[in-house]
Amino acid sequence: MIQIGDLSCRTLDIPDLIIPPGSTALIGPNGSGKTTLLRLLAGLISPDRGTITIGGLVPGSCRVGFVNEYPDRNALFSRVADEIAAPLRFARFPCAEVSRKAEACAEDAGLSHLINRRLHTLSGGEKALVAVLAATIHRPDVLILDEFDSHLDEQTLDAAEQVIRASGPGYIVRCTQNMDVAGRSGTVIALFDGRIRVSGRPGEVFSRLAGTCYVPFGWGVLR
Amino acid sequence: MGCAAVKLILEQVRETRGDWQFSADATFLPGIHLVTGRVGSGKSTLAEIAAGMLSPGSGRVLREGISSGTLSLQYPEYHVTGATLAKEAASYGVSPEEALENAGLSGRGEDDPFILSRGELKRFHLSCLSLRRWDLLVLDEPFSALDCRGKKRECERIPALSPGIVLVCTHEQQHLPRTDFLWEMRDGNLHALGKVPDALPFWQTAPKTVRTLVSQGCVPANLTDRDLEEALCRMRD
Repeated sequence: MIQIGDLSCRTLDIPDLIIPPGSTALIGPNGSGKTTLLRLLAGLISPDRGTITIGGLVPGSCRVGFVNEYPDRNALFSRVADEIAAPLRFARFPCAEVSRKAEACAEDAGLSHLINRRLHTLSGGEKALVAVLAATIHRPDVLILDEFDSHLDEQTLDAAEQVIRASGPGYIVRCTQNMDVAGRSGTVIALFDGRIRVSGRPGEVFSRLAGTCYVPFGWGVLR
Repeated sequence: MGCAAVKLILEQVRETRGDWQFSADATFLPGIHLVTGRVGSGKSTLAEIAAGMLSPGSGRVLREGISSGTLSLQYPEYHVTGATLAKEAASYGVSPEEALENAGLSGRGEDDPFILSRGELKRFHLSCLSLRRWDLLVLDEPFSALDCRGKKRECERIPALSPGIVLVCTHEQQHLPRTDFLWEMRDGNLHALGKVPDALPFWQTAPKTVRTLVSQGCVPANLTDRDLEEALCRMRD
């Protein structure tokens, strides 16, 4: 479990929250604190007050994969192959193994044709896919996805989800403005003005948010 | 010159990058043109060529009657040149007060653009664009980073952005503007699908909701939330 207690950070205020293992979606308006919570879970920032534990460990002491909505901001290398391989290189894997795994990873994701391209020449969606591969190649315990789906078409998103599931993280926590994506998560947490308005199974959360746009179109009719 | 005379013509336009090829033969008339397609299919290349930011390897781009045009990039921070929001708005040649107010950021003219959340920055950028008159406006992923309220607001605002040609290149699946013409990029080739709603059955990358409604014989009149809700009601009945 991810356990959060008495948490305060910037505008975020969460007295008590438990996030079960599996896939969790954060939804809510711009500026509601979703990215702040993701960065706290990734161990990229520390709370002003309160505690977060992930399976009993503090964030940052477990293996974390992080995909920024703007993948350019996280990219360290100019060549796609180097960007995908970076986590393994930093973990000091042998060079031959790094190259083999990076190539296999790109092939599995159908991105072999991009492996020698310069990152800046890729489309926004292709950069997001490369960021997903870099975040999952080292099989993270916790995978954090910050609205990466906004750059992807439906089929490419399905392919990216397969890569994500195959990497086997215990926790996948994402924020999304795609309510269909949120509806496919095991847990949905709705944040408004830094506070949790409702959390639980998608059906429970969307029932409570009925009448807002934070519900998949045709919920209860088409789905 | 009136906007009825505005026309963007891509005549046998070709662009090659390694093994990948882009190809377009198209005429864009005044109205809202929705361009969809898979990741890497060439939407951004089309946007750059249409806006005159990229010269194609071969072919001609004719801009009949177009005296003002711009490209809104997917990432709003790429547009930032001002140290404050007021200076940023001024760099578009628009009133800072109006731009801030339309973006819901009144009183924040002295803030650094980079302290805004990504959704706020996108909203501000689109607000600045909306205060100018464009014969040609190319919007690359205008809805990314926006929450659903912001997407709905932009969908309503896009028809008023320009009386000329508006190209909307997007992956957005849930909230779309009223659309006149539908286009699709397939493996680097631009396909004209036609006018909405007649084009909807031929739309390969249509959002799942649209596909479902069309497959049930409840073709929406257009792509706005209201049109989809009306079609959904027909399906329920």
